[in-house]
Amino acid sequence: MLGARGFIGRTLVSVLQRAGIAALPVSSADLNLATDGAADRLAAMLQPHDAVVMLAALTPDKGRGLQPFLTNIHMAASLCRALGNVTPAQVVYLSSDSVYPIATGLVSEASCAAPDDLYGMMHLAREMMVKSATKAPVAVLRSTLVYGAEDTHNSYGPNRLRRMAHTDGKITLFGKGEETRDHILIDDVAALTMLVLRHRSIGTLNLATGRSISYAELAQKIAALLDKPIDIIGTPRQTPITHRHFDVTAIHKAFPTFTFTLLDTGLAKAHAEMLRQG
Amino acid sequence: MRRPVIGFAGMTHLGINSAAAAAARGFETVCFDTDAGIITTLKSGTLPIVEPGLPELLEQSKPRFAFTTEVIELKPCDVVHVSADVPTDDQGQSDLSGIRALVDTITAGLGRDAIVVILCQVPPGFTRTLALPKERLYYQVETLIFGRAVERAMHPERFIVGCAALERPLPPAYGTFLSAFGCPILLMRYESAELAKISINCCLAASVTVANTLAELCERIGADWSEIAPALKLDKRIGPHAYLGPGLGLAGGNLERDLATVCRLADAHGTDAGVVRAWMTNSSHRRDWALRTLHGEVLAANPKAVIGVLGLAYKEHTHSTKNSPSLALIAQLEPWRLRVYDPLVPASVVAHPDATGCASALEAAQGADALVIMTPWPVFRDLKADQIARSMAGRAVIDPYHVLNGKAVVAAGVDYFTLGVPPLRAAGPTC
Repeated sequence: MLGARGFIGRTLVSVLQRAGIAALPVSSADLNLATDGAADRLAAMLQPHDAVVMLAALTPDKGRGLQPFLTNIHMAASLCRALGNVTPAQVVYLSSDSVYPIATGLVSEASCAAPDDLYGMMHLAREMMVKSATKAPVAVLRSTLVYGAEDTHNSYGPNRLRRMAHTDGKITLFGKGEETRDHILIDDVAALTMLVLRHRSIGTLNLATGRSISYAELAQKIAALLDKPIDIIGTPRQTPITHRHFDVTAIHKAFPTFTFTLLDTGLAKAHAEMLRQG
Repeated sequence: MRRPVIGFAGMTHLGINSAAAAAARGFETVCFDTDAGIITTLKSGTLPIVEPGLPELLEQSKPRFAFTTEVIELKPCDVVHVSADVPTDDQGQSDLSGIRALVDTITAGLGRDAIVVILCQVPPGFTRTLALPKERLYYQVETLIFGRAVERAMHPERFIVGCAALERPLPPAYGTFLSAFGCPILLMRYESAELAKISINCCLAASVTVANTLAELCERIGADWSEIAPALKLDKRIGPHAYLGPGLGLAGGNLERDLATVCRLADAHGTDAGVVRAWMTNSSHRRDWALRTLHGEVLAANPKAVIGVLGLAYKEHTHSTKNSPSLALIAQLEPWRLRVYDPLVPASVVAHPDATGCASALEAAQGADALVIMTPWPVFRDLKADQIARSMAGRAVIDPYHVLNGKAVVAAGVDYFTLGVPPLRAAGPTC
């Protein structure tokens, strides 16, 4: 599990361990993939019967510019060189829906991947690098916005809105919160990744619920969770309104019995966990 | 001049129906096939296909029919139609080897002046490649519609005929035969006729895709496509017969084959076919409407739901299950128990670990948490909503083709889902 200390990595390691599956968490403190020699050290860790889950990346909050792009590519290059020496049983690459341009409309796995920025381009490039580097079955999971109590990234989504409401008593939205996005609970990301690992799945799958919601509606749901009145404040719009919706038929076909956590349920769960954490 | 004798080589769905129409129009008709089994079946009076009105048509024209596997028996024919099936692969690419083989087979048995008419669906450029004298070789667009084949064969809207030389009139025998149907005869070059068939299907695909795209929007914004379509049909630019009924993508294989042909030709010749690719993408998306609805409305809340499926055939009035939306849906429902019924297709065609074949539609609804009507057989329209509601355990009817009266279903206490309109919810708690 490369990138095991991140939001998704920690949860996934925990889920694997609860399921009795041996997991080797590898964080940047254990092995910095962006350094020289990382490939050899990683290759020394890998066994042919292992599955490798690649989560390690500088996330958008660390910047979407050239330097993070190059660092992320360097990390992937180390992985690819290691895969050139050891062919594992499976490689799972956790990618992002940022590979799709925002003007895509309804997004499915058949949608054209033509990223709008370097962050999306980084993921698309890393997908291709990994697929080219190994003979192992490769699953690429392109995730939408992930939320959960443990998320520290503070990107514009349920966690940040919830923190705003809790700390400031208000939620500030871009514009009037008209844009719609799909938010997936971390538990569902972990569960789907587990299914992919169990089935040794190959191919590309978007991790999304298929139900998008506007930020205005999201703010109202979050405000309703708190036991004090929360102001929801709009701001002058700086950027055009964009929407993202997913067609999740591919998940229904790949894992027919999988059901998503409803947003209301997920928000309540995350809120309760955050309260417990203080 | 005596009436021409008409031959058909290839006792396919197309061949049988076309031959029946020829005989019904008073022509002596020779039906040839290399498959002795099919010829034996036809000779015995049994039909290997199902088409409304076909048995009656064949019966009334019986004296004018001859069925044979002997090529030499085509010799008296003045016009011989080649009506072979053209299989396609999953890329929509046609396998034309069967037509070529059949043409080679019959050539030895043809009369010296016999006209050969290619009646199969072929890509532009094919007819001209055949090694037959071009003054005796024609291409004719076929307009077969499963379930309406007799009507289409007996009363064509027009004949579209491709030839090598436009300045030459139609040979008398062929002209006499076509004229017997009383419709316009449009003569054009081979490639135009071959592309005309594809063009017809492209126009239909465009129309259907417009309907499907806007119907999906209706489902989300509170509009009703069935209110909109009549208004469009009254627009002279669109017309009363426009294909505007929403469906589960572009049904059947022929439309998709022709769209794939256009893309291939466009790619090869450097023209833009982006819109055609968009139609195909939309078709794939819309094809899964029933699956998405089931997951969203039933299976997410009831993981152990029993699902009733009405209809297995790809469309009504046929036993064909090729490209059946019903079977495609069933293939995605392996984890769930199914109860299935089709008036014509046996449940044995269903490859599913837990599907019960039922003797009637109501039996299939018995104990079902959701009832999905995947083939619009007319007999399903006779189902009473309150009977369905009493039979079912759950409260969801998914009816893409609007077979049932949605309001009646809702009044009976069952949620109703169809194409082109938002879900209709029964009052009170649902499953």
